[in-house]
Amino acid sequence: MTAQAQRDTAVRKSISVRAGVERAFEAFTADLDSWWPREHHIGKAPMTRSVLECRAGGRCYSEHEDGSEADWGLITVWEPPQRFVMAWLIDANWQYDPDLSRTSEVEVRFIAQADGTTRVDLEHRHFERMGESGNNMRMMVDTPAGWSGLLQLYAGFAGKGAEPGEGL
Amino acid sequence: METNHNRPLDALGDPTRRAIVERLFEGPKSVGELARGFPISRPAISQHLRILKDANLVADQALGNRRLYRLNPEGFDLLRDYFDRFWSRALQAFKNKIEETEGGTK
Repeated sequence: MTAQAQRDTAVRKSISVRAGVERAFEAFTADLDSWWPREHHIGKAPMTRSVLECRAGGRCYSEHEDGSEADWGLITVWEPPQRFVMAWLIDANWQYDPDLSRTSEVEVRFIAQADGTTRVDLEHRHFERMGESGNNMRMMVDTPAGWSGLLQLYAGFAGKGAEPGEGL
Repeated sequence: METNHNRPLDALGDPTRRAIVERLFEGPKSVGELARGFPISRPAISQHLRILKDANLVADQALGNRRLYRLNPEGFDLLRDYFDRFWSRALQAFKNKIEETEGGTK
């Protein structure tokens, strides 16, 4: 651990769902394909299915119309139905990168509420790892590939009805 | 009138502005240099640059009698912004799905 002050760039989101904690966990993981945004993948062809393998060490990947598969995540912590953590194996160039030291991660917690609903807390953190050797995200800005990939994603995402000012 | 260009996402919603950002990968450029690559007027380029500046994607600096525009490293907040929006949308989709199926059992 270095004493270097890192700015906290984590994205944190919470949402409350009308379902018990077991069902919420299962829907989020085993049924990922039923809700995952279709355009959000790094494959070369349109996505047909989004898969999360429900175990520690499980893969997160997408299947595509051309028969290919594209890995984008790895389950690193699996504690159903309370929480799981997945390494987000996409690097600063928006390519698959299996090196956990260079990728961000997502933790999702499922907290049962007294009224039978479940609060889902999501944290996407360690974006700084995506820059080379903890060099923050400077690389994202300094390399054309980083920017181009991001801009393409942005363009696609912005065009797909992300509403201005939306939030939780 | 809405001024929603303070967000990178909105600023990048325009193809010319995305192209300007792409050109700036090559290094800092003046308005004149940028304008040469586009079939639009210098004032129009300046207008796009102002929007990109407002969104913190681009910074400018005076160099002698020239003003150079370059990418702003702080623009990496763009990424955070992207995921912030992505997860808002994904979680809402998740909520809609689970509540639809839960409701469907009754």
